[in-house]
Order: sequence, then C-alpha cells, then structure tokens
Amino acid sequence: MPHSPTRRPVRPTGFSVLRAGRGSFLLHRRAALVAALLGAVLAVTAVVYLCVGESFVSPTEVVRVLAGRPSPDEFVVGTLRMPRLVAGLLAGAAFGIAGAFIQAVARNPLASPDVIGVTHGAGAATVAAMTFGVTAHTALPYVSILGGLAAAALVYVFAWRRGLHAGRFVLIGIGISVALGSLTQLFLTKGDYLVAQQAKVWLTGSLNGRGYDHAAPLAWTLLVLTPALLWAARAQRTVSFDDDTATALGVRLGRVRLGLTVLGVVLASVATGAAGPVDFVALLAPQIARRLTRTAQIPLAGSALTGALIVTAADLLARRLFSPIELPVGVFTAAVGAPYLMWLIVRTRSRSGGTA
Amino acid sequence: MPSATRRRVGPTAGGALLLVLAGLLVVAVLLSLAAGSRPIAPSVVVDALIHGGGSDDAHVVRSLRVPRTLVGVMVGVALAVAGTVMQGITRNPIAEPGILGVSQGASVGVVCAIAFFGVHSLSGYVWFAFAGAGIAAVAVYIIASGGRGGATPVTLALAGTAMNALLASVVSGITTTDAEALDEFRFWHVGSISGRSAEIAGQTWPFLLAGLLLVASMARGLDALALGEDVAKGLGHNVPLLRTLGGLGATVLTGVAVAAAGPIAFTGLAVPHIARALVGTDHRWVLPAAALLGPVMILVADVLGRVVFPASEVPVAVMTALLGVPFLIALVRRRAVVAA
Repeated sequence: MPHSPTRRPVRPTGFSVLRAGRGSFLLHRRAALVAALLGAVLAVTAVVYLCVGESFVSPTEVVRVLAGRPSPDEFVVGTLRMPRLVAGLLAGAAFGIAGAFIQAVARNPLASPDVIGVTHGAGAATVAAMTFGVTAHTALPYVSILGGLAAAALVYVFAWRRGLHAGRFVLIGIGISVALGSLTQLFLTKGDYLVAQQAKVWLTGSLNGRGYDHAAPLAWTLLVLTPALLWAARAQRTVSFDDDTATALGVRLGRVRLGLTVLGVVLASVATGAAGPVDFVALLAPQIARRLTRTAQIPLAGSALTGALIVTAADLLARRLFSPIELPVGVFTAAVGAPYLMWLIVRTRSRSGGTA
Repeated sequence: MPSATRRRVGPTAGGALLLVLAGLLVVAVLLSLAAGSRPIAPSVVVDALIHGGGSDDAHVVRSLRVPRTLVGVMVGVALAVAGTVMQGITRNPIAEPGILGVSQGASVGVVCAIAFFGVHSLSGYVWFAFAGAGIAAVAVYIIASGGRGGATPVTLALAGTAMNALLASVVSGITTTDAEALDEFRFWHVGSISGRSAEIAGQTWPFLLAGLLLVASMARGLDALALGEDVAKGLGHNVPLLRTLGGLGATVLTGVAVAAAGPIAFTGLAVPHIARALVGTDHRWVLPAAALLGPVMILVADVLGRVVFPASEVPVAVMTALLGVPFLIALVRRRAVVAA
C-alpha cells in the first residue's frame, strides 16, 4: 500500500488507504480478504454446479465452454445449466444486498425483506399478473417491483402510529405477509390449471427452468442501480450511528433511510420476480458476511457474494440430493435459514424496545 | 389476558348473547349446506335433512355437504377453544395455533405418518399430529422465552414464523419427493374442509371431546392466571399443573383439527378476541362464546371460498387468513401489544 513513512496518514486499525490520483479510499483489509476468498469459493461452486447433473461433465470441458472454445458438452453446460446458474447468482447477490440495506436501516438482524412482507408482495403481484394473462418476461419484473414497494408501503403505513416501533413493525409485517400469501393462493385458485401449476413452482422459489429471460431484468436493474449502490455503501455507514449522533454529524437521516429502504425493496422484489421468493437468503447473507469480516457495518460486497453462494449451493443440493426429483431451492434455504432465525431470537435478547 | 378493563356480564345478558351466537351458528350451518357450485334452497335442505328423499339435491346435501359442515363445525370449535386456552396460559394476546407454528407441527406429524409409517386413517395419524403439535409448541415457547425479555408477542410471533417456515419446508420436501402419495398430501399445505367424508367426521369427535374435557378441567384456573402467576398461586391454584393441562388440551384440540382439515390459521386468534369483546373476560363465558363463534368463522370462510370464484374452490385456510389478518393489524395498532 503506497504511503510514505514521513507523513503517515492517520487511519483506523485494520484499514489500508488506497490512493489513485486525488482520490483516496479506505479499504478494510479483512473485508477485502474475505471478499476475495468468497469469490474464489463461489467460482469453485459455480464450476461444480456446471459439472454435476444428469450427466457429469469434466471440469476441463466446463472451463473450455466458459472460455468460448468449441466443446462436445456445449449444449449441456452452455444452454441448459449456464442460464440457470446465472439467474441463481444474480438473484442471490440481489437478495444479499437487499438484506444488508434493510438490516442496516432497521439496525436489527431480524429485519429482512422476507419478514416485512416485501417478497410476499412481489410474489402476490406476480401471480396475480400471471393469472390475469400478463406472462411476458418484459412486464413481470415491473409488476414484482410494484408489488414489493406496495407491500412495504402498506406495512409502513399500518405500523406508523406516533412513530415507528420495531416490534409493531415486525408484527404487522408478519401479518401482511400472511395476508399476501393467502391472496396469492386465491389467485392460484382462480387461474387456469397450467398457469397455476407454473406459478406454484415459482412460488416455492425454484430455479428450475430459469434462464436468461429471467436473469436479464435482474442484471439490468443491478447495472442501472450501480451508482445508487455506491452511494448506499457510504450512506449505510451513517445510519449505523444512533439518531442523535447521525443528526449531529449532519446526516439527513430520513432521506438516507428512505433511499436505502427503497433500494433494498427494489432489489428484493426484482430478485423475487426472477427466482421466486427464495426464503431467508436476505436474512442469512448479510449476517454471515458480517461475522466473517468482523466489521462494524454490514459489508455489501461480502453480502452479495454470500447471497450468491447460498443460492448456488442450495440449488446444487436441491438438484442432486434427491435426484431424479428436484426440490425447489427455497426448501433448502428455509431449512437452513429458519433455525438461524430461531437462534437469533434466542441470542438477540429481545430488543423489542428498539426503534425501526 | 393483560387487558385494560375487566368487564363481566351477568347471567341474563350472557345467556342472551350465547343464544344469539347459537342462532348465528345455525344460520352459518344452513348457509354451508345450501351454498356451493349447486345452490340449493334452504327449504329443500331442511326437507332433505328431516325426510331424506332420493332427489339429487337431497343426495348432495346428505352425502357431501353434511360431512363437510360437520367437520367445519368441529374444527372451528377445536381451533377457537385452543386459541383461547393458549392466550390464557401464555398470557399473551397473539398466541394462536397457526401463528405459533403448532398447526404446522401437527401437519408435519400427519405427513410423516402417511409417508413413512403407512398410516392412512384419521384415528391412526391423529396421534402423530398430537406429537408434532406438542413438540412444535414447546420448541416455539422455549425459543421465544430464550431472550432476556421473555416470551413477548414479538419474539413469539417471530419464533412462530421461523418454525412455520422450517416445518413448511419439511412438509414440502416430503411431499415433493414422495410423489405417489401427493394426492393425499394436498390438504397439508393449506387447510381445507372440502371432500371430507362422514367417516372422518365420525373419527374426529372423540378426540375433540377429549380435548374439550381437558380444557374444562382447568378452565376455572384461567381467570386466576389472568391476574398473574403469583396471584394464581396465592389463590390456591397449582400453576404448573394448570399450564400442563391447558397445554395438553390445546395440543389435542389443534392436533385433531389439523388431522381433520390441515393447518388453518387465524381462527384461534380472532375468535377469542371477538368473544372477549362480547362477553367480557370471564372464561366461563368466553369459552362457550368462542366455541360458538369458531365454527361460524370457519363455515362463513368456507362458504365465501366456495362462491368467490365459482367452479373452483378457495381452501378455507386462505379465507380465514384473509379475514383474520386485518384483525391482527387492528389488534397490534390498537392495544399495547408491543409495549413489553
């Protein structure tokens, strides 16, 4: 790291200063290391994901296909497995980032897009649209975003009563989630049989049959939101102070919180639109990433990588564990995520008095 | 119940209210017998019940709708009383078999019984339902009381949500991998009382009766418990025994309801609160009122589910959730549920 011993900059322990021209940037060394390691593990998992299936493809062939060279396995790897992998990676990353934002704003590890009704809102809106004949892949992502935002707004409005109380927020969120889940069932009953069948698989969060059609809106959203994400990565740090400190430092808390929440809700909704409500990824990923990096804030890159890793690994298990039967990936993430949520409840010492 | 006011009703007013509720139940039963994809006039329904007869309508009423309605009534009684008792012994306004994951526990028990033990009759798998419900209830309560604040409504609801998600994933794991029995499993994802035979109704009532007797044996203690554990002890009640009996009763009632109809949420939450709003906090009145209101809610939800999208039917659990959630929201907003 370039710094001269004569004018040694003051910097927090554990950080390195990166300089490029006039710009400088604090880099948390452990976070960077963890991100690099997560990236490596993710790459290995992705290759394994492409190798394993009904027929086994050797890793060298997979690498050849990835490099774009001709290979006899191009159809299996490039056409069948690759789109599904991309959809899973992007959805996992989006869930991870969304969870990081929502948990940072709520300052509560229990808050996640699943718990506050966002994924169910996106799900209900999507199934409703499918039932009423909107099945174009170009339109559905917008429907999911609208549904997610509407659900979040609904929870917010109902939970607001002379201030926002964390406990009330969670209870209302659970209630709205159940109601939206029931609405989804209602639309499923109304829809014609084939649509219902399709929607039902989608509902448990399945990557079966997901492809570039589904991944494309997600990729666009992530690309368009990149400037916003860079802003959010900085802003996220300020909301982790308590209200008084943040206000005294000149942070417009209301705006920052609103911005982060909207970003989180949009990401979670689009990811839900692409992969279905894959439960608990948004809850798990930021917490795991934070424990790995041991930072005070939730690391964004780490959360995104962890989210992608969870979804890919879970889908790999879901595909192969009971083959030839494929389980929805949501079944696996719930089986891991739900016990973790229980453990959090026992550990967090009931912070129902906190603010949301 | 941590209620602000302790209202009581006199015997005359209470009796009159119970009569009105019984009248409501009769109307709901007639509605459930008459409505459906083949609407039948109430006079024909009554005629078919009393005189029998060989017409198509009479056949539909007797062989399809009567068992369905009977199961609905029993499930409603079981869930409403279970909810009342759970709210009483945990002293927690949102305790309810559905939200706390107890129903989902029972359905895991039933699904395991069908998939792994080859048990296919209600009187056989109801025991698995009891076991599942009991284990889930104890686990959720232990998890929720793990935090320093004890089992507050928020921790209970969160622990219940987590338990529901976990058990739902177990159920869907088993049902997806065991495709042969998939048809038999349809009910265990979403509760429904459609297509229930008279046989199921006949096997349900002994367990319902057992659960109700268990609850009756400790019902007097519920009023004392509402005043606090110490007061109840001071009044000469054996608090651990009360809680055990009540917990057993609620488990049996939930288990039999789930075995008959699958997991149905929010009936056990909404009904006790409505009953308390009507007859006050005295459990001698609340329990019968809840037992009359529970079936009304289930049957009305079922009838709504039959008529909302004609030709196909919405499962009753979907409709009870839609009816019950606004109630939960009102409860959370209006009362100091989260002040703990």
